[in-house]
Amino acid sequence: MPDGKDLNVKSTDPAVREMIVKAAKMEVKTVWDRYEAMLPQCGFGDTGLCCRHCLQGPCRIDPFGDGPTEGICGATADTMVARGLDRAIAAGTAAHSGHARHLAHALLKVAKGQAASYSIKEVEKLRAVAARLNIQVDGRSDNDVAGDVARAALADFHEKDTPVLWAATVVNPERAKVLSDLGLVPRGIDHEISEIMHRTLYGVDADPVNLLLAGLRCGVADLAGCYMATDLADILFGIPHPAVTEANLGTIKADAVNIALHGHNPLLSDLLVTRAESRKDAAVAAGAYGINLVGICCTGNEVMMRHGIPACTHSVSQEMAILTGALDAMVVDYQCIMPSVATVAECMGTTLITTMEIGKIPGAKHIPFTEETAAERADEIYDIAIANFKRRKGKSVDIPQIKTPVVAGFSVEAIVSALAKLDANDPLKPVVDSIKSGNIRGVCLFAGCNNVKVTQDSNFIAIARKLLKENVLVLATGCGAGALMRHGFMDPANTDKLCGDGLRAVLRAIGEANGLGGPLPAVLHMGSCVDNSRAVALAVAVAQYLGVDTDKLPVVASAAEAVSEKAVSIGAYAVAAGLPTHVGVMLPVLGSELVTQVLTDKVKGLTGGYFIVDLDPESAAEKLLAAIDERRAGLGL
Amino acid sequence: MTEPREIFVRLDRCMGCHSCELACAVAHSRSKSLYGAISEQPRPGHRVYVEAVRPDTPVPVLCRHCEDAPCMHACIAGAIGRNEEGAVITQADKCIGCWTCVMVCPYGVVGRQLEEHKAYRCDRCQGRETPACVQACPTKALVYRSVRDFSRDTRKTASKTMIVPQGG
Amino acid sequence: MAGQTRYVIIGASAAGMAAAEAIRAIDKSGPVTVYSDESDPPYFRPLIPFLISGKKSAADMAMVGHGPYRGTGIDVRLKSKVAGIDARMRTVSLKSGEEVAFDRLLLATGSSPYVPPEIDGTGQEGVFTLRTLSDARSAAGRAEKSRRAIMLGGGILNLKASFALLERGLKVTLIVQSPQVLSQLMEPDDASLIRDALNKAGLEIETGVSARRILSGSNGVNGVLLDDGREIACEMVCIGKGVRPNAAFVDSENIRVDRGIVVDQFTASGAESIYAAGDVAVTVDPVTGGRIVTALWTNAVEMGRCAGFNMAGKPTAYGGTFGILNATQVAGVSFVSMGIVHTSGLDYETHVHESRGAYRKLVFSPDGERLLGVLLLGDISRAGLYRFVIREKMPVAKIKSQIINHALHYGHFIRT
Repeated sequence: MPDGKDLNVKSTDPAVREMIVKAAKMEVKTVWDRYEAMLPQCGFGDTGLCCRHCLQGPCRIDPFGDGPTEGICGATADTMVARGLDRAIAAGTAAHSGHARHLAHALLKVAKGQAASYSIKEVEKLRAVAARLNIQVDGRSDNDVAGDVARAALADFHEKDTPVLWAATVVNPERAKVLSDLGLVPRGIDHEISEIMHRTLYGVDADPVNLLLAGLRCGVADLAGCYMATDLADILFGIPHPAVTEANLGTIKADAVNIALHGHNPLLSDLLVTRAESRKDAAVAAGAYGINLVGICCTGNEVMMRHGIPACTHSVSQEMAILTGALDAMVVDYQCIMPSVATVAECMGTTLITTMEIGKIPGAKHIPFTEETAAERADEIYDIAIANFKRRKGKSVDIPQIKTPVVAGFSVEAIVSALAKLDANDPLKPVVDSIKSGNIRGVCLFAGCNNVKVTQDSNFIAIARKLLKENVLVLATGCGAGALMRHGFMDPANTDKLCGDGLRAVLRAIGEANGLGGPLPAVLHMGSCVDNSRAVALAVAVAQYLGVDTDKLPVVASAAEAVSEKAVSIGAYAVAAGLPTHVGVMLPVLGSELVTQVLTDKVKGLTGGYFIVDLDPESAAEKLLAAIDERRAGLGL
Repeated sequence: MTEPREIFVRLDRCMGCHSCELACAVAHSRSKSLYGAISEQPRPGHRVYVEAVRPDTPVPVLCRHCEDAPCMHACIAGAIGRNEEGAVITQADKCIGCWTCVMVCPYGVVGRQLEEHKAYRCDRCQGRETPACVQACPTKALVYRSVRDFSRDTRKTASKTMIVPQGG
Repeated sequence: MAGQTRYVIIGASAAGMAAAEAIRAIDKSGPVTVYSDESDPPYFRPLIPFLISGKKSAADMAMVGHGPYRGTGIDVRLKSKVAGIDARMRTVSLKSGEEVAFDRLLLATGSSPYVPPEIDGTGQEGVFTLRTLSDARSAAGRAEKSRRAIMLGGGILNLKASFALLERGLKVTLIVQSPQVLSQLMEPDDASLIRDALNKAGLEIETGVSARRILSGSNGVNGVLLDDGREIACEMVCIGKGVRPNAAFVDSENIRVDRGIVVDQFTASGAESIYAAGDVAVTVDPVTGGRIVTALWTNAVEMGRCAGFNMAGKPTAYGGTFGILNATQVAGVSFVSMGIVHTSGLDYETHVHESRGAYRKLVFSPDGERLLGVLLLGDISRAGLYRFVIREKMPVAKIKSQIINHALHYGHFIRT
């Protein structure tokens, strides 16, 4: 039975702690149990000194020098570590762009009239994106433009004459030149991923610096994938605008048909949201008061941002939602879904429903989803959940009565329109003026996951607290946003006490100008993990407004509790974009002094960005502030 | 009083992952963390050695803390003694790096710290509840038990493996 | 005290003290008295060069309380030189006139430096042999007033003393009669790695010459005349030409002296209840089968322990020791030499491997079936395994390539 101290080490979230205690009582294994069983973890993998890229392996290099100092093929620690990192970046890029490609296919089907359940929701954005891509807009139908945008998106995956448009056209010209001069402009998203797989193959690229540059180029391809995913999701499902909602396990309701939407892509989840009303009667007929959708991870962020659907939990605590015993179904698509949810779901009577051909889990019910059959599949899911509710009805559940108010949905468009209430002709001026005056000392983007190695949310909370007090404007995406929302950072009622004077005044001015009768929340929720592109878009807009490159801005990023290889590829593009980028868990690179040095120092001379690897949140916050101040000084502020 | 424990090797369980070696080096580093130890100079040495007879037969080898420890008697500097738990300990400050212990150890498990010119060897991780190598072993090929407990467990396992196939 | 066995040990160095501890491990009550002719309490003799370099004090070298030496219930009498023994009456007479009765007696009187009589002037002030702490103190005192030292003899002890003096800032010249240094432990061809390192470390070495006369003036030594006619000025001379067993005091028809005191495999001399161990005792080399005397601390301890067990009533055979068994590091080069390593002109199967910074020589019996000797320079890791293979006369067919390639590890003994 976990005692208090043990719980404190696992999570800072009181709702999660309640469920950890319950899991222990029920002898249901959770991520924390599996982590403990895994300890101590293999130091070779931990430091990047294990290579399984060929069948002569596995090779391990002894970091202490007594054993082998190179792999069987002769790869040094530097080569091995750089190759491993490249593959992580490639995997992350494959995931984000896979998500984007899925949306591109959907948009193409919409354009061709083959996906009746979907439509173009944001014509303005469609046309803006098309214009950016140099696609003819005037005098053409929305479907024609959408078809061309979708085809341009799909074309960005393979090698072609033009660079990847979603990379080349989304950054400011100065940054485009930096990337071009360094050879970091991707020629095709899939091409870069594939080339990483090629060059990291047995007996290809052994030059650690060459490998790392390829990794950065792949990282830029990841930016393209993310940016594309955001653009296309906005076109199909709408641009997010601030919505008032709430977060944490208390959003699950004992007497409703509870369906958790978990994963990343809004394609299915958005449809489930829009069809919920039509299924209400069936739910009521089963004895429920209605249907209650709750989000987990980035699917949760997508539907929260566009529909105000509450988030029940995030990332490392995903099993805890099921442990309430009140989930009737958990619907998942892909990415960050721990296979263990199937086991926990079985213990708790929840039906786990997988929906994607690439993401099946033994023990789950698989309902194959396609855009063409989306509505039928959605209804099938509702039927299962309602049937499950009938079985569950009247049985006791354990829902922690803990939830926090959240205002979420700050897309760039939403931010600009809020700022326009202060200065309609020059909306960026108020924010840039605040940066100049020091009311906003800088900007920090929190992204990434919750890592079981870190007490859940503790790094996010500690760093955000410190930065807000120091008047740093904090943006958040993904499960970083999830962490901060569950701890009240997105509740405008807390803005005053969380923020320093300058930042408080800015957030209050914007809030009041928008008729909120109070400030904006202390942390602005910008979306899911692909929506880190929104933060890039905002940085690019501010850079262009100031007439400087993005590496001159007092903007930093932090993946304080990163897990996924997607966080590594996001980190790579943040560095490529010129941002000091904090990672709060150890990247598997320490085995190579050279690679560690390049990533944390030398790359600064190339892109202006660099990694700050620091496991201590207090000192990480200091380093982020120092990086902000260095840049302010560079701008003469 | 609890019986002194020793580190035993269950050869059939060793996967040859070398995790014990890393954990040992970290436990004998100044920083006591992998991330810190990896950049220490001189590099911390490990005192357990995963050797291989053939590619598929890894053998972890470490100091047996012999009852009649040849290294202890051979030491010309009085640097090797036995502590209360029965572990044979090399005292670095007294070691003069003459390598006599290396010459007489029949297990070949005395290491040489060349930068500091000191011999080093397993100290069963004095001050830790369980030696780092034992803790690190993912397959429990290394176990920390008293002689009595270990031989009792071995007998139990042996009888189990004999009974199970017959029983069905 | 009736019924208790009275143990008397002559000599309080490696063999004597190891024997005393071994006796105590078995017989908790019989009085154990150890007589030493030195004025310092028992110390680790091989450490005395550190007194010259200043890296250790005499107190740092004390035996009792360190390593396996507890000293519990062991009565050490200093400055007590033995005049003679009466094997029949079972008494030992001390120079002081005292008579000591024993039930069991161990002769562990060690050895003394050999000073070649053919060298003139060895009695001058400033000429040293380094055997005792007291010798080391005198040498250290002289070194303070010296700029240059000449070392006669190219063995380990002289090399260590040379480095101690180099560390003090003296110029040091080593005069070696043999064609190469360390000729007892390796052949000239084997020693080049060490020779290079010694040269690099600043030690001047003259090989193939010997000292004819030690020259002196009013302040003692002022030079050495070599047999090639050269004169080298110096203020001190150290003689390191080996040692001889201290067996002259033995005057008993039952105790055979042949260079040293001859004992059986249970370390017993021909006289009842009288044992001998250490440098003074003659032992057997299991590799060659020859009778040898050695002057190695490690051997003395091993033999002394055996003697102690036998004296206390636990019969323990002593398997003898290799005539050559040495490990050390000089000028940054570590080496181990054991068993038969002198092979030139002989019929052994020899494997030599030389690489940058390392050298090894593996000596097998002429039929190739047994390992007889190992010389490792540079990489001496796991050297103890070879000692085991040699001593146990293991058939080596299955592990021969591992031995030759210096890839042997303990796993080869337990898994094949």
